Amino acid sequence: MSNPDTRPSSSSFEIRSSRIQSGDTVLLRQPNGDIKSVKIQKDSTVSVGRIGYFHCNELIGQPYGFSYDMEQKKLRVLPPKTLDDVEDTDATNELINDGEFVQPLTIAEITALKQSGVHASDIIKKQIEQHANYSLKTEYSKEKYKKRKEAKYSKSFTTIEPTLFNVCEYWFNKDQNRIRDIRPDTLSQMLNLANINPGGKYIVVDDASGLVVSAVLERMGGHGRLITICDTDSPPAYPVMINMNFKPDIVAPLVSLNWATSQEDYAPVGPPSEVPPEEIRSDRQKQRLRKRKLVNDALEKTREELFTGEFDSLIVASQYDPDGILQQLVPYLTGSASIVVQSPHLQVVSDLQNKLRNTPGYLGPNVTESWLRRYQVLPGRTHPTMNTSGSGSYILHAIRV
Amino acid sequence: MWSTNPLIAPGDTVILWLTREAIQPLLIEPGKEFNSKFGSYRHSELVGVPYGSKVPSRTGKGFIHVLRPTPELWTLALPHRTQILYLADISFVTAYLGITSGSVVVEAGTGSGSFSHSTLRTIGPTGHLFSYEFHQNRLNKAKTEFAEHGFDTSRVTLELRNVCKDGFGDNVLKLLNRGGEEEEEGARGARGADAVFLDLPAPWDAVESAKRVLRKDKQTRICCFSPCIEQVLRTVTALNDAGFSDITTYETLLRPHDISSVPSLPTIAEARSKIVDIEVRKEEKRVLQVMSGHRGNPGKQAKDQDGKSRDAGVGEKRKREAKDKGDSDEKGEEGKGDEQIGEVEDSNSDVGGGKRIKVEREDRAAGDVRMEVDIEPDSVARPEGLTSTSGSSAEQKILTRVMPEVRGHTSYLTFACLLPQVVETPSMRAKRQKGEKVEMNEEETQEGNFNGEVREKMSTEDESNQEENKSGGDKDGMAS
Repeated sequence: MSNPDTRPSSSSFEIRSSRIQSGDTVLLRQPNGDIKSVKIQKDSTVSVGRIGYFHCNELIGQPYGFSYDMEQKKLRVLPPKTLDDVEDTDATNELINDGEFVQPLTIAEITALKQSGVHASDIIKKQIEQHANYSLKTEYSKEKYKKRKEAKYSKSFTTIEPTLFNVCEYWFNKDQNRIRDIRPDTLSQMLNLANINPGGKYIVVDDASGLVVSAVLERMGGHGRLITICDTDSPPAYPVMINMNFKPDIVAPLVSLNWATSQEDYAPVGPPSEVPPEEIRSDRQKQRLRKRKLVNDALEKTREELFTGEFDSLIVASQYDPDGILQQLVPYLTGSASIVVQSPHLQVVSDLQNKLRNTPGYLGPNVTESWLRRYQVLPGRTHPTMNTSGSGSYILHAIRV
Repeated sequence: MWSTNPLIAPGDTVILWLTREAIQPLLIEPGKEFNSKFGSYRHSELVGVPYGSKVPSRTGKGFIHVLRPTPELWTLALPHRTQILYLADISFVTAYLGITSGSVVVEAGTGSGSFSHSTLRTIGPTGHLFSYEFHQNRLNKAKTEFAEHGFDTSRVTLELRNVCKDGFGDNVLKLLNRGGEEEEEGARGARGADAVFLDLPAPWDAVESAKRVLRKDKQTRICCFSPCIEQVLRTVTALNDAGFSDITTYETLLRPHDISSVPSLPTIAEARSKIVDIEVRKEEKRVLQVMSGHRGNPGKQAKDQDGKSRDAGVGEKRKREAKDKGDSDEKGEEGKGDEQIGEVEDSNSDVGGGKRIKVEREDRAAGDVRMEVDIEPDSVARPEGLTSTSGSSAEQKILTRVMPEVRGHTSYLTFACLLPQVVETPSMRAKRQKGEKVEMNEEETQEGNFNGEVREKMSTEDESNQEENKSGGDKDGMAS
């Protein structure tokens, strides 16, 4: 088992370009930790919050992950930050009192420095020089001080690779309601529990701005079929997907139905696409009819695909009553298929679990909640981070039997 | 990968779900038999059965569910050769490392293969897993399992190797990673892995060699899985020294919720009426004892009364009420009589005196009981009404709580990133071409892997800056 070069040449699709392209939406982390999503267009200029502007061409062709210093719309790659050992000293805050006048440098002076184009590190240096009590601070406190000032004056940013984790984290911090409180850990569990892999057939109900759809598409790598059921008459815009920068092949497995068209007894309301030839009066009408027929045929095909069934898993992250959703969609699942229902509310999934427990066809329905804790690991300063998200929502998992 | 056919065939590995706690794998070999306390089953009888079926035992007494394996079920069913990774950690590591369809992943050690199976599923046929194990026996078992589960050498490379001592070898760099941008040998691809996962007792010893097998044309990631915080600290130092950045540590767990349903929660009205009921009965019993004490036959009467009150209905209650009244009236008169006697015989008769005090207290108590008895129908009726309505409308209350015993800690997950070689921005290139002094010299920008020597230079620069800062803040330093 040591000849890896004999891999079959099965077609492989890259998820996204590993270099930033014109048209990509890129996440930028600012010095203060805020993340901004910007659209990179050739020959245009982009603003990074209040820290300044840069020319997009500077970023096109760059791999993700670097930090850049911004100067006159130009970008210079910065070396990665390393962890500095902080020496322990005998200093304490014994002699430091709040509210003392310690900084003779005025805001006006600092603004003047900034405007004259003095580099952030020089401003900070100046502030430290003028600071009356800086030498009294502990080394840890000095570190914090410098970091705080850096976040304030530094004109740099870091590009964030749009991995599923990073995109999910960005949306969770930005507006967790819009992704139904799905934290990255929860999302990763949903994907694993649903056994998503390239080539599978999946049904997804996503009222989470397309986070789940994006995640499933990424794991499918352009192979298989994904049917989403939505609550709008036309296929929904999935805003999260914009951040993924998917190549077109990756999105190919996705088709959508809605809660009306996914009914087996659905009858299209609307003009017929087939009209007797003698009634066609113009080429424009002919074209319109042809277009309408194409749309209708595609819809019929998707419906047929759904009703044929044998889907490998169902993931539900929806505002609608999951009981009704399962009643409608579970019949299209194959034996031993996975069912994953996510909700920000424990009651929703616990009520469902209680119901499924007594319903034949569902094996081992169980409800879990993910717990996540992040640690600051710095030499001599290791502890859990002070702020932690309360809940990453709840998951019900069951197996169709 | 495991069978994707709808029906079970000979040679398939299936998962038998006996109970939630008893899940085990079974290789279908017609001629063999599976026996458990849930019945006996011939393998040949399982052939041709659709996956996901409930199969009755030959006696018809027991049944089992026959499931298609998934890495998640495999994790619950696999034979443990080592401590294994579970869903929460596996899925989190997968997501953080950006492992997805087509990824090339390096793992050490293979262990029981829990993480390996999940990763093989996620990366699919266009990805590749390099798995290293230094234990010959465990390696052989993993090899057999992968073969049985349909993961051939095109998807996984297993190697006997102590990566802490001997590094990762050359196999990873031999493989063309299809996710790359470089044109190489006519195909798109880069050399090296997208992610490294280290589940080793001393991951810090493998960090340097792990860095070697990571691809250099894009950001890559590493995860070290260690149960102890001391290990984390050593790992962090090693990662930092090796030039990894964005070092961070997470801990993740699953909290399973126990869900039960009850008709409704008991109310304090029920508790009150129960207490009152007991008090009433106690009182009756005692009153009877007192009365029978007078009549000289306590045992028999108390017993009779007890029996009656036990099956006392509403009608009975009313009778009891009346009787209570009568009793206490009687008692009152008796008491008065006693009192009179008592007054006379106080010092002489201990027995009489005792009785008198008792009766006095009894009077008060009897009054109280009467009051309670008056409100009794009301207080009893309310909870009874409650239970009957909740019973008839089947309105269940669903209760959830976190399972009393949950896994409290598995391991710390320490992650870090490795940045690719620097690619010049147009302005950096222009500056260099103009021959201006760029802060990074030419050599650095071209081969500009920040890791290693170049970065060392930078960090010394940084340090000297800091020293300046420090001395700048120091007043003595300023004077000098």
